[in-house]
Amino acid sequence: MAIPISMPKLGMTMEEGTLLHWEVEVGARVEKGETLYVIESEKTEAEIEATAAGYLRHVYVEPGDVVPCGTLLAAIADAPDADFDPEAFRHEHDRATTAPEPSAPAPAPAPAPATDTRTEAGRRPVAPAARKLARELEVDLERIPGSGPGGRVTREDVRTYADLRASLVEVGGGVGLEVPRLGAGDPVLLLPGFGTDVSSFAAQTPALAEHHLVLGVNPQGVGLSDDPELDTHPVSRAAADAAAVIDGPIHVVGASLGAAAAIELALEQPERVRSLTLITPFVRADARLQAVTEAWARIAAECSPETLARALLPWLFSRDWLADDTARERGVRGLAASVARVRATALGRIAAGLRAWSGTRVDDLARIDIPTLVVVAGADLLTPNGAAVATAIPRAECLEVRQAGHAVAVEAAEVVTDRLLSHLAAH
Amino acid sequence: MQLSREQLLDAYARMRTIRAFEEKLEELVKGGKLGGFLHLYAGEEAVAVGVCSHLGDADIVTSTHRGHGHCIAKGVDVKGMMAELFGRATGVCKGKGGSMHIADVDRGMLGANGIVGAGIPLTTGAALTAKLKKTENVAVCFFGDGATNQGQFHESLNMAANWQLPAVYVVENNGFGEFTPTEYVVPVKDIAERARSYAMRSDIADGMDFFDVYQRAGEAIERARHGEGPTLLECKTYRFMGHFVGDPLVYRPKEEAEDWIQNRDPLLNFESKVSEAGMLEESDLREIDGAVSRLLEEAIAEAETAPLPELASILTDVYAE
Amino acid sequence: MSRKLSTGRAINEALAIAMESDPDVILLGEDVVGGGTLEADGVDEMGGVVGTTKGLVKRFGRDRVLDTPISEMGLLGTAVGAAATGLRPVAELMFMDFLGVCLDPLLNQAAKLRYMFGGKVRIPLTVRTLCGAGMQAAAQHSQSLYWITAGIPGLKTVIPSNPADAKGLLLAAIRDDNPVVFCEPKLILNQVGEVPEGDYEVPIGVAHLARQGGDVSLVGFGGTVPIALRAADLLAAEGIQADVLDLRSLAPLDEEAILTTLEKTGSLVVVDEATPRCGIASDVAALCVDRGFDSLNTPVRRVTAPHAPVPFSAVLEQAYLPSAERVVETVRALG
Repeated sequence: MAIPISMPKLGMTMEEGTLLHWEVEVGARVEKGETLYVIESEKTEAEIEATAAGYLRHVYVEPGDVVPCGTLLAAIADAPDADFDPEAFRHEHDRATTAPEPSAPAPAPAPAPATDTRTEAGRRPVAPAARKLARELEVDLERIPGSGPGGRVTREDVRTYADLRASLVEVGGGVGLEVPRLGAGDPVLLLPGFGTDVSSFAAQTPALAEHHLVLGVNPQGVGLSDDPELDTHPVSRAAADAAAVIDGPIHVVGASLGAAAAIELALEQPERVRSLTLITPFVRADARLQAVTEAWARIAAECSPETLARALLPWLFSRDWLADDTARERGVRGLAASVARVRATALGRIAAGLRAWSGTRVDDLARIDIPTLVVVAGADLLTPNGAAVATAIPRAECLEVRQAGHAVAVEAAEVVTDRLLSHLAAH
Repeated sequence: MQLSREQLLDAYARMRTIRAFEEKLEELVKGGKLGGFLHLYAGEEAVAVGVCSHLGDADIVTSTHRGHGHCIAKGVDVKGMMAELFGRATGVCKGKGGSMHIADVDRGMLGANGIVGAGIPLTTGAALTAKLKKTENVAVCFFGDGATNQGQFHESLNMAANWQLPAVYVVENNGFGEFTPTEYVVPVKDIAERARSYAMRSDIADGMDFFDVYQRAGEAIERARHGEGPTLLECKTYRFMGHFVGDPLVYRPKEEAEDWIQNRDPLLNFESKVSEAGMLEESDLREIDGAVSRLLEEAIAEAETAPLPELASILTDVYAE
Repeated sequence: MSRKLSTGRAINEALAIAMESDPDVILLGEDVVGGGTLEADGVDEMGGVVGTTKGLVKRFGRDRVLDTPISEMGLLGTAVGAAATGLRPVAELMFMDFLGVCLDPLLNQAAKLRYMFGGKVRIPLTVRTLCGAGMQAAAQHSQSLYWITAGIPGLKTVIPSNPADAKGLLLAAIRDDNPVVFCEPKLILNQVGEVPEGDYEVPIGVAHLARQGGDVSLVGFGGTVPIALRAADLLAAEGIQADVLDLRSLAPLDEEAILTTLEKTGSLVVVDEATPRCGIASDVAALCVDRGFDSLNTPVRRVTAPHAPVPFSAVLEQAYLPSAERVVETVRALG
């Protein structure tokens, strides 16, 4: 009786890992709890212990191989030369999960291996009916996760995926963004900050929607939006994507990194922007902001969204707010839900984009000839120099909320909402 | 039974047609002009004609893979037969049957058959129809000595005897079943003896003598027609050619064959008998020979240029509409 | 008007109607009368090995209901000859297993005479035969050999799944001018169902959708239709709705009906009590892959007997036959 050793899933968003090396040689004895092998995932190394005592009977994956979670790595048997059929064992125990799935709505859970389907390694089975439907609906079969036996892509999978794509807004280059919308009237774009989705504007949205068509733009890598896995996420591209969501003049509201995108948009397509609102903006990411975004990316890769949210709370909110237990717990839940919708694999690249943009637009702010509202927070640990942005932009007004932290739109929701509404109404 | 002049001329003409037809075919096959398996009847003409002289279109006949003689004797169109052998659309079976399956139900010819013994139950069935419908028709089966070893021979004769069917089972005993002499595989001296197992009447005729066949077949057919039950009629005969065209005939002594061909030829036999009795003139017979020869030339010429079947006919007549 | 009859009684009724309406229809086979000397007192006819033809000799006489010797080849060959010359015979092959001793009259004579003779002859022959397992009749009396006759050009092969269809299909078979093999599955012999009175025919070559559902297609025929319907009920309890298609005719095959249900559900399972090689189930599966490829959402599965002779012991025979449970398992495993 051999025991399967599979690539573990360390954290909700881990999808694959690299086997760095085996600590034990094939045929050698290992005790329960001893380090059996070392993996790397999201730039973190982890030593993995043997879950049972025995002899390393067979190894399926070599150092350097990158495999999905659940992939069978090895087998431990009770004798170094025990009877063992590697293929049959693999057939029985390999549970490699397929391509990353969007977090909501979730397709069926990890499929059981098929008994009869024969496919070459790496090729997923696709039902003929699914192929035909994919052709008819013009969706890319490669991107569709399969829920059938052995990871087979079924007709239903294609339909689900097509419905999903139909709900996305195409912003060019085959990229679709998830853009929840509410209300009617002149359009207002909401651009969220690093590592969060548009739910961070939840406090503002209802009021805005009474007078405007509110379009929450989840950028690449966030929510259901595509994540083409390019090397970086330049802020300029986030800006261009946002501008492509709708035609005509737009009000643009951005928070934190979203404000950076808003600044880019205002500089690149000024004729389109009716008004600009920058909530806790920055033009230069200081050391603390950079450190926090890096840590954010790592924690997202290794820990649950709730843990991430708890770790971020002190950086985003004021001491007074943190003292309120009820508000804090509510805040954890809301923030956890938001950060869960951002792909951990995208965060590193988004952070890189942030770093690359930092400092490039300092002198250009003076060129912005658009009515601008800048909201700064007195207890903002991450972007404390927001007031300087207000000074640099000619037609800017500044609202300072002295008591609030970086997440001022949440912490001082009413104040921000009222001022925002007036600003939009005036322009 | 006395035959009229017309009947005698007709009998000779049919026998001559059979002989000439088979000889022509042998030439054509050896000359590479015909394909498929051909089994030729030369030497046995008196049997086919002697029996079929008593039959009309409504009487049914089945035959074997060696069926050209029975077809011609039963009145199937010679030109249609030739066209069939050439695989033409104008063939009597539209080119779909070939040598072993030539048939024309309009003439009561329910086909040559490629399966040894298969015609025997078919004839039994035709006789059953005649009896149940009270038509006074008769069903006659031609088959060889080899077929009498088939289970279906015994089953059919058994049933025909039980039900007293209007059938005549004509076994053409030519001494060989394919390449095996009959005495190796049939334990009884005369196959006619086998009828005793079924309490069936039997008779033995000299198959090389038209008149003997005619006489005995006539009696059997009359009995059948009048509800007196079936008969097994054994005709002792000899096939002059091989089992099939191209048969090297190594299994049979050349002298034996020569003896039959020279001395027991049914056509020569007929001619000498009718001449002696003054029933026909030699000139009558030579005239018929000439007419037959011309008929065959025409048949071949027409067959060679007749249209081939359309490819779509592969799928026709699989089922009746 | 209809009343409940067993399959056997329904067949008997069809034979009586056919013989009444056409004097050329005769019945022949081993023990189709089965009564020895009917004239003696205290002696009655058996009417066939399972009593299907009882009563017919009294109505139509010994000229039209004929007991033959145990001569399958002779009797079938005779039936072919009779059919070719003006009668419309119904020959009984007591057990389909006996096809081994009489294949030639069907294969080389009945199926081919019309074709070989350039269309000049008709063979309006019907061959009735008991097929299939379920009565512990063991290996030589339990086979389902319809795959042999269904594959022979020139023959038609039909198989009812219930008493009403048995009557209508047999009447259609008798009146068809082609040789038709009419299979009588043991599994449905004692089944009782509503059978309309009077003369009616079920068309040959037309399948029947016995149940409608959009999730999976169960294709069956003969004794496997009740099995498929039971399976469909079990599946419905799990929220899976099945189409059940009763083929009724194996040759000609209603290909359009099969492709239509496949297109609807994308998932097709064939249930056949014959052995798995070269059979109807494989034929249907090939059709799906050949002409219904783009409709396939799951593999085509075949639920058949195993590749073995039919065993005698009841527990073995029951496991040998397809069951509703096996069909349900197969559908579940489609994923």
